[in-house]
Amino acid sequence: MVTPSFDLYVPTDLRDALKFLESNGGHTAILARGTDLLPRIRRRLAWAPTLLDISGLDGDLRYIKRDDGIVRLGALTTVADLLETDLLGMRLEMIRKAGELFGDPQIRNVATVGGNVCSASSSEDLIPVFLALDAKVKLISSRGERVLPLEGFIMGKRETARKNFEILCEVFFEAPRGNCWSGFEKLGRRNILIVSLVSEALLLTLEDDLETIRGVKVALNRVAGKVPARAAKAEAFLSGKKLTPEVIREAQDVLASELALKGDFRASGEYRAELAKVFLKRLLLGCASRIRGG
Amino acid sequence: MNEAEQSFYVDSSDRLIDVLRDRLGLKSVKEGCGTGDCGLCAVLLNGRLVNSCLVLAAQCRGASVTTLEGLLNDPLTRKLQSKFLEHNAAQCGFCTPAMLVAAKDILTHTPRPSTGQIQAGLSGVLCRCTGYYPIIQAIKEVSEEEKERS
Repeated sequence: MVTPSFDLYVPTDLRDALKFLESNGGHTAILARGTDLLPRIRRRLAWAPTLLDISGLDGDLRYIKRDDGIVRLGALTTVADLLETDLLGMRLEMIRKAGELFGDPQIRNVATVGGNVCSASSSEDLIPVFLALDAKVKLISSRGERVLPLEGFIMGKRETARKNFEILCEVFFEAPRGNCWSGFEKLGRRNILIVSLVSEALLLTLEDDLETIRGVKVALNRVAGKVPARAAKAEAFLSGKKLTPEVIREAQDVLASELALKGDFRASGEYRAELAKVFLKRLLLGCASRIRGG
Repeated sequence: MNEAEQSFYVDSSDRLIDVLRDRLGLKSVKEGCGTGDCGLCAVLLNGRLVNSCLVLAAQCRGASVTTLEGLLNDPLTRKLQSKFLEHNAAQCGFCTPAMLVAAKDILTHTPRPSTGQIQAGLSGVLCRCTGYYPIIQAIKEVSEEEKERS
């Protein structure tokens, strides 16, 4: 397999990178650490005449910060960084779990938060996790900055709201507080480098009675077609209800009713929907048990 | 490059593996899939295990790259090699260099790994002779002997 040729622009700093995009954005793809883009180029699934190599901008774009209850992840933060930091706290178990199930050791060492989000496909597991946290993304260009909710940023399969002169520089979200816990479930056909059939991330908040649901946020790697999104109907159904077996059963049906899952060579749509239901139950019960101190 | 400073020009689309094998003759680095799935091209980049088929050579400017050739004087790697031999932990041998680099990486970060930790650490390197068991045993024994020594 021959690597198709392309030009590479290596910026001196972030400002230089943005200046380059301002005049060349139209024919440039952004290269972080390449775990998604390079194999796609080699398989002839993607190509651009020029790649802008931002992997040297660690100083500007690789950080994990937590201030005033807001967690900020620089775009070049790696999955291994997410697993090695102690800034995330226990309640963000879904990030740990998604990180542990992510790729393999070599991939975790290089794959980035920004790359995962910008790839915007159903196999990018950090997307459901960030969706369940109502994360926002910060885009920077030489014209200024703008902030978008991740939900609006991802417009379709491999389609984002990033303009070609912008760089996604940060993903940020409010750290969950109070009676809450989060979890992540994923199933594929093997134990590493899993292309997930279903990935599901859930954040549960209970009222002080530890029985009544104050809020649930649940996101899947595909809700309709192949686009990751929140399961709004299941969330609305669960809100304010007591977490009983009957309610969970009904919530599973509501969830299944809002999924329009297509089948492919990996699994049928029906099988995926069944998995999503099982994961919903597992995540609700698991999170509730952790909130109650289990 | 294996602790020696080297400078040369590379093409934009040259991957690290292309430069290692074709320009520097470091043939321990194998190309299995070329798309980041098999891990046979694993090397240490700034001390972390990465697939050299997924990194552009130009992205390694100023970085330290270690292949198995660069570990041949490392005592831990020597021990791993002897144990691999003792346990017949190589069948066709194609994955062996990457297995050794991954094994060295595991023991560097986790001197006393559990079987699960060894499996997780090797999970990105595929052996299609499926001879994983002796490889895991070999790594385990090295870690146990190191423990006794200390």
